[in-house]
Amino acid sequence: MSKDDDFKGGIGIAFRMGTELVAAILLGSLIGFTLDHYLGTGPWFLIIGLICGVLAGFLNLYRVAQELSKTNDTDKE
Amino acid sequence: MENPLHHFELHPIVPIHLGGLDLSLNKGILVMWAALAAAYFLFMMVVKSKPGLIPGKLQSILELYLGMIKDIADDNIGEEGDKYVPFIASLFLFIFFCNLAGLVPGSYTITSQLVVTGTFAVSIFVMTLIIGVMKHGGHFITILVPPGVPKVMVPFLIPIELLSQLSRPLTLALRLFGNMTAGHILLGVIFGMAMTAPMIVNVLPFGFTVLLYGMEVFVSAIQAYIFSLLTCVYIGDVIKLH
Repeated sequence: MSKDDDFKGGIGIAFRMGTELVAAILLGSLIGFTLDHYLGTGPWFLIIGLICGVLAGFLNLYRVAQELSKTNDTDKE
Repeated sequence: MENPLHHFELHPIVPIHLGGLDLSLNKGILVMWAALAAAYFLFMMVVKSKPGLIPGKLQSILELYLGMIKDIADDNIGEEGDKYVPFIASLFLFIFFCNLAGLVPGSYTITSQLVVTGTFAVSIFVMTLIIGVMKHGGHFITILVPPGVPKVMVPFLIPIELLSQLSRPLTLALRLFGNMTAGHILLGVIFGMAMTAPMIVNVLPFGFTVLLYGMEVFVSAIQAYIFSLLTCVYIGDVIKLH
């Protein structure tokens, strides 16, 4: 992998990290909030949605980080 | 001092109303058309000038560009990558030109509208779903179950994986929208400072605006690159299915 590719890949991952986490949490809590709003079930779906969202966000982050270590490995070879 | 959000407002230039639908032309749409035309004529210029075996200046740049797109498509999609190169190349060029068009003073950054980036992202997401279903049929549903997971954990993992998949169009849309909007607000605020600061002192924010402007050109390219890279990653995911 050339230095240029490495730079582009690094910037790409850097820009991805933040939004991956935020978007999943946002989406999870939004789904929970909407379900609560229509079913009138108090805060419960919001809490479940938020927890699932946080977990999904970290899963996304983990996957991005995995790609980072993959590019580093190919770099060493 | 002028409101830094002022230039994000859209006002209809040519009001068109068709059966309750507001199809008015505004600055954003015109800029989008201009960006589309610029991307089209850039390639047509090379095609019309009879591309040769020994490329000219413009032809070399465009060949390098298509080579880069081919590389990211091959890396992330795999063997079938070549099939998607035209789509990814058009997507990159269109977003890049829309971002650049926004940097022309007096024009409008169409990618700073969540509606626009959201439409891109959702249509790409639906497209990946269609590709996945066409390729794997009913087996496609296993994308929700990561490989090597114990059976007990599957019911817990499905909602998380579902959210993780559904958040993809959201991240795609939010990233482009956020970066373009933030960049332009920052430019607006710092330029506002340059306008209101007293003489001599205002050289500082003004110089910074110039630097920031250069940064924005770079961000335009990087955001278009990330958008097309992630499109490739998502298409690759549904084709490989783990």
